[in-house]
Amino acid sequence: MVTNKQPVTRNASPSLLKATFAIVRKDLAAELRSFELISAMLVFSLLVIIIFNFALELDVKVRQSVTAGVLWTTFAFAGTLGLNRSMSTEKDRGCMDGLLLAPVDRSAIYFGKAISNLAFMLIVEAIVLPVYSILYNVNLFRLDLIGVILLGSIGYTAVGTLLSAMSVQTRTREVLLPILLFPVAIPVLLASVKASGSLLAGAEFSEILTPLNILIVYDIVFISVAFMLFDHVVEE
Amino acid sequence: MQPKPTALKILDVVSIIVLAISTYLALFFAPTELVMGQVQRVFYFHIGTAWVGLLGFVLAAVSGVIYLVTKDMKWDRFEVAAVEVSTMFFFLTIVLGSIWARPAWNTWWTWDPRLTTAAVTELIYIAYFMLRQGIDDPEKRARFGAVYTLLGGISAPITFMVIRLFRSIHPVVVGAANANQDKLSMTGDMKIAFFFALFAFTIIFIDLIWHRVRLSGLEEKVEQLKLKVSM
Amino acid sequence: MDTIPDTSSYMTAGFIVTFVTMGIYVLSLYIRNQNLKRDVDTLESLQAEKPKSKK
Repeated sequence: MVTNKQPVTRNASPSLLKATFAIVRKDLAAELRSFELISAMLVFSLLVIIIFNFALELDVKVRQSVTAGVLWTTFAFAGTLGLNRSMSTEKDRGCMDGLLLAPVDRSAIYFGKAISNLAFMLIVEAIVLPVYSILYNVNLFRLDLIGVILLGSIGYTAVGTLLSAMSVQTRTREVLLPILLFPVAIPVLLASVKASGSLLAGAEFSEILTPLNILIVYDIVFISVAFMLFDHVVEE
Repeated sequence: MQPKPTALKILDVVSIIVLAISTYLALFFAPTELVMGQVQRVFYFHIGTAWVGLLGFVLAAVSGVIYLVTKDMKWDRFEVAAVEVSTMFFFLTIVLGSIWARPAWNTWWTWDPRLTTAAVTELIYIAYFMLRQGIDDPEKRARFGAVYTLLGGISAPITFMVIRLFRSIHPVVVGAANANQDKLSMTGDMKIAFFFALFAFTIIFIDLIWHRVRLSGLEEKVEQLKLKVSM
Repeated sequence: MDTIPDTSSYMTAGFIVTFVTMGIYVLSLYIRNQNLKRDVDTLESLQAEKPKSKK
């Protein structure tokens, strides 16, 4: 028995990467066929921006101070939409059970889902940013801003993937995810808004260092914690 | 359900006594604070409830970890008890803080790091109960609860740190300076009332948790009986 | 500041809120406890009846 098991555990680590990307590929392929998720997230984001436009009277003056807040609120809302959908399709079509039965490490499932969720979020952000730039005549295509958005989205999806795996298994399902996610994700949203706001206001790099450090710390801490806890969430 | 143990009965009586003494100390023994007047007497209970609220939060996260490692339901019962009792105490902390802030800073609410973190923590507690409510299987409920308390336990200190770091850019009403002044200008009698309040609320906290844990035991018994009867 | 501001009404409110909230919590514990005890009694009597009715 022991000798039988040995190679399996040794093989687990090289196949982790392969398994992870197999899951990512599966999600992206399914998405590219229907564009269900991305189109929903995208239309939702644009609607949120339009609502903000009227709610906040986004004229030139106001825009300068609230652009970062509007963007991140939009990303956060669209993010929960995507996270919910991506997990509940797994659950509804019974794919989750299939994945759990597959002889892969559970962490591969977590990383696979997290990376594909991140990819969806980034695709939506990549479309929202130019649209916002055109609509409001601000240049959001800056490498430093994109870096901040990337870091923020990583932290958000790292926790969001874990929590959405939990919320789809409850009776209230979709309703529960934002309630669980927002209070825990406050640090990452705050730091992202702060960093993007300072960047857009043309601040020095040293001023952005604090929120940037927080983002990096949050990402590292929550990726490792979520990855360790994921096993307990999908266990059946 | 076992009959109420004697130790718990004694603890009940002791809790009531220390609460009475602490109230006396806060209301009559401690001198009136000169800057804020009578309302400062709320401070002793404010600190007492905040201390046990925080203690409960840490204990819940720790018992969450222990549950995930041992899978022993008794840690889940303890975790629920700690979260529920802390929710009650933290609510009191926030309300008392608000009542104090109104005459002191002329506002019911400031977005000061401590207040904001307390509010976020309270929301995490509420989310925790909503999560548990949506799950029927007790074992899964315990697992998810443990995972969420752990996430909350890590996120809350980061939230506090983040708000505190950004405060230098985002100024808030007086806040910290004022509170520090209080602590420095505490007279001997105030210190007695202060430390006794901490002690008293710790006793009350233990007593309430004990009762809540026993209640969970009873809940479990009912669930098991229901299964037996329906079979 | 020479005169101490009169804030005793706030203080009274604070103490009342504290005792009322703690009272409600203790009461809720008591009520839940009573309800569960009743459930246990009902379920136990149901369980005792069940084998008889089967026979």
